[in-house]
Amino acid sequence: MDVQETTVACRDAFAELASPACIHDPYPFMRWLREHDPVHRAASGLFLLSRHADICWALKATGDAFRGPAPGELARYFPRAATSLSLKLLASTLAMKEPPTHTRLRRLISRDFTMLQIDNLRPSIARIVAARLDGMAPALERGEAVDLHQEFALALPMLVFAELFGMPQDDMFGFAAGIGAILEGLRPHASDPQLAAADEASATVQAYFGDLVERKRTDPRHDIVSTLVGAHDHDTDTLSDAELISMLWGMLLGGFATTAATIDHAILAMLAYPEQRHWLQGDAVGVEAFVEEVLRCDAPAMFSSIPRIAQRDIELGGVVIPKNADVRVLIAAGNRDPDAFADPDRFDPARFYGTSPGMSTEGKIMLSFGHGIHFCLGAQLARVQLAESLPRIQARFPTLALAEQPTREPSAFLRTFRALPVRLNAQAGG
Amino acid sequence: MRVVVDQDLCGTTGQCVLTLPGTFRQREPDGVAEVCVATVPQALHAAVRLAASQCPVAAIRVIESDAGNNERASTKPAPLPLAEAGRPAAEDQRNPGGPDGTV
Repeated sequence: MDVQETTVACRDAFAELASPACIHDPYPFMRWLREHDPVHRAASGLFLLSRHADICWALKATGDAFRGPAPGELARYFPRAATSLSLKLLASTLAMKEPPTHTRLRRLISRDFTMLQIDNLRPSIARIVAARLDGMAPALERGEAVDLHQEFALALPMLVFAELFGMPQDDMFGFAAGIGAILEGLRPHASDPQLAAADEASATVQAYFGDLVERKRTDPRHDIVSTLVGAHDHDTDTLSDAELISMLWGMLLGGFATTAATIDHAILAMLAYPEQRHWLQGDAVGVEAFVEEVLRCDAPAMFSSIPRIAQRDIELGGVVIPKNADVRVLIAAGNRDPDAFADPDRFDPARFYGTSPGMSTEGKIMLSFGHGIHFCLGAQLARVQLAESLPRIQARFPTLALAEQPTREPSAFLRTFRALPVRLNAQAGG
Repeated sequence: MRVVVDQDLCGTTGQCVLTLPGTFRQREPDGVAEVCVATVPQALHAAVRLAASQCPVAAIRVIESDAGNNERASTKPAPLPLAEAGRPAAEDQRNPGGPDGTV
């Protein structure tokens, strides 16, 4: 049971990722896994891929080598789905759908996530950012510590979502704790109490969205919910009410905690590597490079949450993945694979300077938004939130420092925070 | 050089539009990508190949043909081993040898 033993063989990478050592720093273990057991078979039978090239291939190969679970198979891959609302909702989200249903649903929602639409949101995102920083300034300037996670990193995506969904801000803030509970309950090997807590939160969200859909039906506005309600009412075959609600539920799950965690990680990178802050003081290209490097170094969702099922026996790196096996990918390990990113543990925005978003100067894909048909719908929305935030934080609070060590959520799946207390340093040299 | 987007395959991720906004755009009603140039100028050939290799669903096909050639060029398969949908060719030269092994 000593440390040496875990480095000789790993029985279950998912259990290892939940260990206190990995919650603190999962990357040494991920490196070991990638080097010694890159096609890992967990005790539960799940496979976990950790090399960049394998992950890219598996994500892109959806449809030929892999598929999502068919509706009738839900019980097999999610044994608790019969009794769990969260698992039932998860099964109806976009991430779990296959073409042609996936194509139909994704295109309905894509109109609100085109690059043009997201660019149009920039001014309101910038306004929200400025208002949140104004709100934090008095306490910081009095020398007090402020929890940047709650006050900014989590608040920003929630306010942006409130605007996108046409929801009162307070209603959105009310969801925050529930979303966290749902995410924990949905990861593989979650305990029964965790799943029960997730179901309770899901029921609240589901009921709220049921009401919201009705409100948008009688009083449509320029927001995503109204658009989707319109698509539903125009042709009920296009989008069922259940699909609509699980889609909204899925967007909250995908968009909230992940964006917040990446903002937190960006702040930590600014504080840990002051010599890299110059990227945030120049042109937009430098800011984008900084953002991509933060995303690469700390993927908020460390592994894929949806099953990819082998359509046939697949041999990968000398291991045979049997037909019908559930294959997951360890995104965070792929992002730190030296075969894709040289000196991968070094924080170096130059890797992404002047490249197309998500691709390094060497032509390697940054995996945090996934790849293939389930590529993150909100990728550009998240990037714009980060790009509008970081230079403003840098300019407004150049002496920002940690007040205490941040508190991480003890999650094996999401690398997120509970608190990130910051303060302003006395003047430089002081 | 010409470039085409397979609009049935397009995943509406908009990555190509971010990479080359003058070459690709997204249709307003559904976010599907379309090409907005008849031929790709020489200066953008490398960038278009890169955009094709980065497309998460491999929906972009580059048709390498000498400028001014007749229409037949468009029916030829792309000479580059660009990833076709769902095949393990992929964009990565260091792809693991394994995925082709069936049964």
